[in-house]
Amino acid sequence: MRSGLARSALALLLACVVAVVVVPVLVLLRTSWVEGRGRLAEIMTDPGFRSAVANSFWLSAAVTGLAVPVGVAIALALRDPGLPGRNFWRAAVLLPVLVPDFVLAYSWLRAYARAGLTSEAFGFAWPQVQGPVGVTVIVASNAVPLVYLVTAVGLSTRAEPVTERAARASGARPLTVLRTVTLPLLGPAIATAAVLIFVLTLGTFAVPQVIGAPAGFRTITTLIYADLALGSDPQSFVEAITLAVLLVMITVIVVTPADRLLGGRLSLSRTPARDSDWGTGSSTTRILVPIVLGLYLIVTCGLPLLALVSAAFTRAVGVPLSPENWTLDNFLAVLTPRTGQALGRSLLLAVAAGSILLVLGGCTAALSRTRSGRAVSVLVALTLVLPGSVLAIGLLIGYGRWLADTVLIILLAYLAKLWALAHRPISAAVDRLAPAGLQAARASGADLPTALATVVVPVLRPALIAAWGLCFLTALHEVTMSSLLYGPGTETLAVVVLNSADLGRIGVTAALSVIVTVVVLVPGGALWMLGRRSRHG
Amino acid sequence: MAEVLQLRGLSLAYGATPVLDSVNLTVAEGEVLALLGPSGSGKSTLLNAVAGFLPLRSGEIFLRQRLVATAGSAEPPEKREIALVFQDYGLWPHLTALDTVAYPLRRRGVRRDLARSQAQQILDRLGVGQLSGRKPAQLSGGEQQRVGLARAMARQAALYLFDEPTAHLDAQVRDVFLAELAARRRESGAAAIYATHDAAEALGLADRVALLIGGRVIQVGTPQEVYAQPVSVAAARLTGPVSLLAGSDFPVLVRPDWARLGGDRTGVVADVWFRGSHTDYALDTPEGELQLRAPGLPAHGRGEEISWSLERSWPLPGD
Repeated sequence: MRSGLARSALALLLACVVAVVVVPVLVLLRTSWVEGRGRLAEIMTDPGFRSAVANSFWLSAAVTGLAVPVGVAIALALRDPGLPGRNFWRAAVLLPVLVPDFVLAYSWLRAYARAGLTSEAFGFAWPQVQGPVGVTVIVASNAVPLVYLVTAVGLSTRAEPVTERAARASGARPLTVLRTVTLPLLGPAIATAAVLIFVLTLGTFAVPQVIGAPAGFRTITTLIYADLALGSDPQSFVEAITLAVLLVMITVIVVTPADRLLGGRLSLSRTPARDSDWGTGSSTTRILVPIVLGLYLIVTCGLPLLALVSAAFTRAVGVPLSPENWTLDNFLAVLTPRTGQALGRSLLLAVAAGSILLVLGGCTAALSRTRSGRAVSVLVALTLVLPGSVLAIGLLIGYGRWLADTVLIILLAYLAKLWALAHRPISAAVDRLAPAGLQAARASGADLPTALATVVVPVLRPALIAAWGLCFLTALHEVTMSSLLYGPGTETLAVVVLNSADLGRIGVTAALSVIVTVVVLVPGGALWMLGRRSRHG
Repeated sequence: MAEVLQLRGLSLAYGATPVLDSVNLTVAEGEVLALLGPSGSGKSTLLNAVAGFLPLRSGEIFLRQRLVATAGSAEPPEKREIALVFQDYGLWPHLTALDTVAYPLRRRGVRRDLARSQAQQILDRLGVGQLSGRKPAQLSGGEQQRVGLARAMARQAALYLFDEPTAHLDAQVRDVFLAELAARRRESGAAAIYATHDAAEALGLADRVALLIGGRVIQVGTPQEVYAQPVSVAAARLTGPVSLLAGSDFPVLVRPDWARLGGDRTGVVADVWFRGSHTDYALDTPEGELQLRAPGLPAHGRGEEISWSLERSWPLPGD
């Protein structure tokens, strides 16, 4: 009876994956073949198309080259348990994750562009922020937390402190230890991080759209958006799907050999970090690290967010930041029923996505011990690197007939894109469950529900909270797919912000961004505290 | 003879938890010192402090009469003339056995090919020369231990530190290493500290034994001294089974082999264990409970009243 239940659950899961991932991708491929065959040569030689493809490629390469060394350096610096305020820094480095990327991009503009905060306060402006250089730097600073996380996991699982002590006791100086032991051991983790960052940057949309598009810097994803959202002729539709197919192909080309080279280590699963028992840093690094890290966070996060808040609360761009110019007008201007509805819709979508994904991710993790269950989890893992633009176009072609301009199609897109995010933490926790635990509870007189409730759920609780929280927050941030799928009356809050930024309404956009950030930060902080408490309590 | 290592009033703590409490200890040239203590007594901490991985709270460490660590300053591990054999071997997952053993040689500036051929010789001497191309994941626990030992041997050290090998060194490897150490003692006066919780191992291989309990060195002496003349019951228990009997003035310590069957004293057999080469008895006597070891097969059963005598005992005025 139990295997029958498992089998039908598995069939249901498989059907879900096929519906939200496989069908959209196949439909996309088929359409591009049917529609695009004749015009392929024409599209491929179009200079706009070619420059978008080249831009995407170089952007990904530059972001990877920038974010990986910084993230690795931060992970190495924060490993020293003797570092003052280490827990604070470890949380602070992850802070950019809680701020939606389009908000951060917009904040950089408010901080460093002409007539920005630093220009007003110190007479320093950085005009290049609006363009390819700015896009690269901002996307890279957004990618650093991920590199940091992957490297930190690699450090705690591969490069145990004893390996470094053995090198010191063999006569190696600290820098030699780094070169001959630590970095070689971190190789797989660093390679994983590099591939992930490259692929995720290929699919990134919000920052190039907010920062690059106004300066004429187009990437594959922003060109898809321009073709679908602004273009109306069949030619732009064909160009969009051709771009989407190209994006899938590049992603597959990058990920497949990497996955094979790394022996399937391309995973994000977090193991509990085991603290090394004593310090590795010197007194000099313990003074330098907080200073450098503090400056880094002020430049990449602090000043931009300060600029955003001050733009939201001042009357106009370029006026001095004195009290007589403070105003709530920008907030009053956005307090429209339309914004309220968008906010409600976003929260509803995020809660729905988080809750459904908790079930889907939990089932995938629970069933992944069977062979077809593993197949499902592999498919699910692929969605992590499948660009959102591709999924969105596939869903639009596949289900647009029935679902176009409804909230439902956005929800489907979230489910497809975030499934892996829900699956990873839960499956990592399931793997850590002692297999005999459940049997031991049964043998101690607990019936199945009691056994589950007393020995399984408490162990899984932090992972379940993390999975729900990750999906909820990412859904609130999501703009790549939402901006392609929304219709009249189904905008999400993120889309409203993006459109407002496109229209160049500075104060209003800043006010909206502040609202989005607060909406994300409050539940984000609450979930973090909850997660901490259930880990320690 | 000059000392290789001298610890003066060494104290150390993890946060607020004291781990070592004013430890004084010297290791002479050519000497093998066993550091014997239960788990958690601070053995690893002491070795890691000597190696330079832990800051001192107070006290001083001298290596070859040179001050290498105080509460405020410490010479880094790579500058100290020490080699460390790690508890869990501490091998590098990405290096082969050969490159692992060549590593300390390379750090000393030896050319790569020369370092490798020397490393191969060391591996050969430890009987794992044929495994030189393997990485740790392809080695058994015992083989990993030999590679870890070979790496320590490749380091030209004044002091070799053994951090309680989880599986005891097998006799053959130990003999090779002790022979090696003896050779180096003649050349350079090298010495070793061997941390363990196994009394038989400590008494068997060391020139002197230091007993460590709760972060304090409670006794230092030759194996015979610490076994036969313990300073306290706790010290006595560390080195083997012991009974505490009421004496005329002080309590006296009795090892099981110091008592024998037959004689002027009486007792009742409470339990009997046949061990093969000998038999252990637990006796209820007027002076207290006594463990007695007699050669051969069990001669008495439980509840039997028997006579016994003491060959020797050790008074404990302090207790």
